[in-house]
Amino acid sequence: MELGSIRDAFDRVAKKQKLCSSKTQEVIDQVGQEIEQALAKLQALHDPSSLHDLKTILTELNGKLKEVGPINQIEGSQKELNVGLSKYAKLLEKFFNPDISKAYRNVDFDTQTINQIIACHFYRQGLFDLGDCFMNEAMEPEVTLKSPFMEMYQILEAMRSRNLEPALKWAANNRDHLVQNGSILELKLHRLQFVEILQNGSRGDALHYARTYLSPFASVHMAEIQKLMACLLWAGRLDSSPYAEFLSPTHWEKLAEELTQQFCSVLGQSYDSPLAVVIEAGFQGLPTLLKLANVMAAKKQEWLAMKQLPVPLDLGRDFQFHSIFVCPVSRDQGSEENPPMLMPCGHVLCKLSIVKLSKSSTRTFKCPYCPTEATVALCRQLHF
Amino acid sequence: MEPEPSPLSNGDSTAAGTTTAASIASAVAATAAPIQSARINHLAESLKLEHQFLRVPFEHFKKSMRSNHRIAEKEMSTVISSVSEAANRDNMSQEEAVNHLTSLVSRLQGLKRKLEEGSKSENLQAQRCRARLDHLDAAEAENLSEWNNTRLKRILVDYLLRLSYYDTAVKLAECSNIEDLVDIEVFHEAKKVIDALHNKEVAPALAWCAENKSRLKKSKSKFEFQLRLQEFVELVRADNNIRAITYARKYLAPWGATHMKELQRVMATLAFKSNTECATYKVLFELKQWDYLVEQFKQEFCRLYGMTLEPLLNIYLQAGLSALKTPFCYENDCSKEDPLSQEGFRKLANPLPFSKQHHSKLVCYITKELMDTENPPLVFPNGHVYSTKALEEMARKNDGKVTCPRTGQVCSYSELVKAFIS
Repeated sequence: MELGSIRDAFDRVAKKQKLCSSKTQEVIDQVGQEIEQALAKLQALHDPSSLHDLKTILTELNGKLKEVGPINQIEGSQKELNVGLSKYAKLLEKFFNPDISKAYRNVDFDTQTINQIIACHFYRQGLFDLGDCFMNEAMEPEVTLKSPFMEMYQILEAMRSRNLEPALKWAANNRDHLVQNGSILELKLHRLQFVEILQNGSRGDALHYARTYLSPFASVHMAEIQKLMACLLWAGRLDSSPYAEFLSPTHWEKLAEELTQQFCSVLGQSYDSPLAVVIEAGFQGLPTLLKLANVMAAKKQEWLAMKQLPVPLDLGRDFQFHSIFVCPVSRDQGSEENPPMLMPCGHVLCKLSIVKLSKSSTRTFKCPYCPTEATVALCRQLHF
Repeated sequence: MEPEPSPLSNGDSTAAGTTTAASIASAVAATAAPIQSARINHLAESLKLEHQFLRVPFEHFKKSMRSNHRIAEKEMSTVISSVSEAANRDNMSQEEAVNHLTSLVSRLQGLKRKLEEGSKSENLQAQRCRARLDHLDAAEAENLSEWNNTRLKRILVDYLLRLSYYDTAVKLAECSNIEDLVDIEVFHEAKKVIDALHNKEVAPALAWCAENKSRLKKSKSKFEFQLRLQEFVELVRADNNIRAITYARKYLAPWGATHMKELQRVMATLAFKSNTECATYKVLFELKQWDYLVEQFKQEFCRLYGMTLEPLLNIYLQAGLSALKTPFCYENDCSKEDPLSQEGFRKLANPLPFSKQHHSKLVCYITKELMDTENPPLVFPNGHVYSTKALEEMARKNDGKVTCPRTGQVCSYSELVKAFIS
């Protein structure tokens, strides 16, 4: 990045600005001094009624001020500054993209929908005051997601002060959902609680806890529970046992993260803020989009009517939410009408390409990638 | 069901032979480098989008300098001309002359104070410009997620300010400590004008036009003309016809050369009155003309400061949605992690084009991981495809049997065939 040269250009501007302002001050002082000198002379006049002397002093002052030429001086330094200013502005335009709205479609982009998205974003980030303030100012109706996220942050807050009560309660209430997700969050929470009791309470309490809460997990997670039971032998001094690892504070952090994940999943929400995801995708995709808009500048109508972009906007793999199959022969995107087909050799083409190669399914054909022969009957449709 | 990522699989791959492990490691190292450089490339490209981020504080800085300069020039020429005027007068007494000069001296002192204050604010603005440069400089591959987070907040503040949600904007900037990275002060100037226009007052807007006269002229703005037209219409509405005509002579006539049509149309309201049913003129009396002026002002304001006319958020939302939009987003089983699984985003994406892919990109239904040569796709007899990693894992846990999670088909791992996707 050429930020260094931009910074240098800015330093030059700032320097000239300092120069310019000190020059102005200097000129003002100069003029002030001349006037004060004249003032002193006026006051020292021997004959106050002599209009002639008075006029001489004033004319002299007038002449001196003309000589100083304060306006010209100020203008001069300002001109130099202006040169620097326009140079810097040009530099910015050169290094940066001066109009990133070139690819913008002037379509109805509903403000209320955007506001709702922003409000959800604030709430899911735990910024409840900010969210409320925004809803108030934008006069938007309440967002339904506010109270569930509030519950989530209360649970997390309690976990930070080592209180697992609310988390356990939530996990018990959503047991089915967690099991369906293949998550053992509930067991992990109980494990953490058990270790807490073991470390801070008595062995009896821990045993009692294990009997009540851990035994239901025994059928599936025997090994884990055996380990925990072994911990009982080191009650109060777990830190010097083979199981010291259970005490690591990272368990708390990891569990908080997993809880957030599961909570969002139960709500039917994504783990990352969808607004943040779209904006990040926007930052990655916009440079290519702008280049495209430049190329198509002359065909504005075509650009606006386009149903699919003509070029790919390459996003990182974090943004890959769907399997997209592109036929290596026709370059068409797979769809319901034109699904991907697996040939006996293992290569995959779209259905239309295979129909073409087989002359409308009438004869055997060779795979374009290897010399294996195939017939349409031997090809299988794939589901990603 | 989602399999737990078990440590077993790692153990297995090392057991399979150190040679493969080593070759995988080197392969990973080889691919990691291009990924890293691609990321830096991406970053450099997206930094180039930040024109407004540097431009706005710079314009603000420039504006302060200009206004300070104007004050200095104006005061100075008043002093000079006042001295020369005194020198040309013949009947001045000594006392008068002394008073006159003393007032000039104090005037200069006043100017000096004013300029000192002015240069203080200039320095603050220069500092802000530097803070922005520093911030762009601080974007690196290592701290990118935090930096992106701040960037999202910046463009949210931009959106809030443009839609006049000032309190929320200030609050968000304060609680995230990004005051130097957002343009709250600049928008305060706009707020005054907008509030006044909402109250049907044009004076602050006209003052703003006068302040930025030369630049508005350069961009051929007719905003001032539109304000004048509105004032004229208001006079007609109030039946102040004589005043309206005087007003038109003074303020509308100068625009005749360039905007005759609009001028004529507005003049006709004198004949039609505010209760007219004639559509051409009725619309001029509608109150939403004021909202239109607010919109106009916002555009002029943004243009003057080198901002995009649309909120940054909208621009990035559109780009992001186009990049993410695929026909699959609208299917019922769309992953929740896809923003386009949500109604609001779908609605916004409606008028936007679908994204385009030149190459297949396959995501495993089970692990959501990319299926590529490292993790090739395997096909069930019924044609359903999952990643090798997921199915290997499943087979290990179930004595070599695998189950298709979508259809329930069970087969042995050895029955699966590899698909080659190019």
